[in-house]
Amino acid sequence: MNLLALQRNWRAILVVAEMTLRQTVMDAFILFTVLVQPLLIALLALWMLGGRGPEAAMFVVVGSGMTGLWSSLLFVSGNSINVERWSGTLETLVGVPTSLAVIVFGKNLANVTQSLISMVVSYLLAALLFGYSLQVDQPVQFAISLLLTIVAFISFGLIIAPLFVMNPSVQHWQNAMEFPVYILSGFLFPVALLPGWSTPLSYLLPPYWAARALHGTSTGGSGLNEVLFYWGMMALFSVIYLLISGHLFRRMLVKARVDATLDME
Amino acid sequence: MNSLVTNLRVFWQGTILSYIALFHWLEPVTYLASKVLMPLAQILFFTLLGTFATGRDTTSFYVIGNAIQIAAVSGIYGVTMSIGGDRWNGTLPYLFGTPANRMALFVGRAFIHVIDGMLGVVIGLLWGTAVLGLDLSQANLPALALTILVTTFSTSGLGLLMGCLSLITLNVMFVNNTVYFALLIFSGANIPLASLPSWMLAVSQALPLTRGIAAARQIIAGAGLADVGSLLAGEFLIGCLYVLVGYRMFRWFEYQAKRKGTLETV
Repeated sequence: MNLLALQRNWRAILVVAEMTLRQTVMDAFILFTVLVQPLLIALLALWMLGGRGPEAAMFVVVGSGMTGLWSSLLFVSGNSINVERWSGTLETLVGVPTSLAVIVFGKNLANVTQSLISMVVSYLLAALLFGYSLQVDQPVQFAISLLLTIVAFISFGLIIAPLFVMNPSVQHWQNAMEFPVYILSGFLFPVALLPGWSTPLSYLLPPYWAARALHGTSTGGSGLNEVLFYWGMMALFSVIYLLISGHLFRRMLVKARVDATLDME
Repeated sequence: MNSLVTNLRVFWQGTILSYIALFHWLEPVTYLASKVLMPLAQILFFTLLGTFATGRDTTSFYVIGNAIQIAAVSGIYGVTMSIGGDRWNGTLPYLFGTPANRMALFVGRAFIHVIDGMLGVVIGLLWGTAVLGLDLSQANLPALALTILVTTFSTSGLGLLMGCLSLITLNVMFVNNTVYFALLIFSGANIPLASLPSWMLAVSQALPLTRGIAAARQIIAGAGLADVGSLLAGEFLIGCLYVLVGYRMFRWFEYQAKRKGTLETV
């Protein structure tokens, strides 16, 4: 997928995103993933880190919100192609002139945007139940970080979805992939707590750079140069993943047509 | 005597077949991911979060709490899916058409998950020892094994109750997931019970795992079986209570489904 394709198909992307939101807004699994689980994690973390004051509370709000983003990306966006297959609509989608990658981009846009509710819910929890008066330290930089986070997560989702389709065995590991990314991305504690050999793994994950940017701008813990670096890394990974995803989608569709397995796993 | 043998056979066949049915669609690699690696990741996450909050001295508190909590993976998800599987696979009408003893049939759905859950807890503790330096040298191992057995049994009791819900609702996984995460808060796995407000403490006392986790912490610190006897008795009674309430619901659902003709409703 390239940026030109995105520009040409922005209307299709928005329509797909709207349709996806309408379909999933009351889905119990998605409600749990983006609402209940981050809320319970936030409750737990606020309790555990409560003694560290409002700065830690903001850290928890952002971090627990990001757990919702990742879980949604893994379980919902990761299955965005398979869901169409299970519904019997994949052949139709592949047959329309709009490329499947563009359609999945729209679906991921909806899922990632919907997942931002996690952060709002965590914020309300911290403010209403724990009585914290929380303020984002660098609101403009935070908003830009959030925007880049959405793009980075969508791009990452575009890699995961075709990989899960082409390698059903990888999908078996889905349950085991949730917490490791929470850990390696430093959503709720710094990766400095982890052994040094794991740091390069963190660097390869867009959620890690998103967490650094969002934590840094919400608590004021990062200077402008650092934040610019995090933005650069998110943009770089987004471009790389978009390029790789284009290749993966082509390969997946060719393989499905050759093997005649478009509608079966 | 014949009746007892028949009931035992129903219990045992139900036990084996429901477990095989559950893992028929789950491959060994899925088992490895869900029952070996996922627990490690979960224990690591909450232990690192806990030590970040309170310091490295408390590592064992979080490792033990979260390792014992792994009992809920089999106890809640496994048992619920075994019971709910009869509905999804269309075998429920046949099941309710048989004269088989319902208690043997019902409890049989949980039996292997108790053993599987114990294995999961042991794996969790071994991960804790290997990766996070949990010290088991002071532990009375038979007492610890008994604690794991009783705790897994009581958690499976809650699973049986949740399994009944899967017979009357389509969104049981939502409820299961919520209960699983709520246990991480209320059971004392990650938050010391003493710091909970009174209403949360009251909820935690009514849940499985709470006393089991407390007992496991004491045993690993060097306490004997006599020291944790009351905790284990309480945990066992809580488990029995959940089994009985679940069984009553199971019978009520059977009655309602037959009366309304909704046995096949999915």
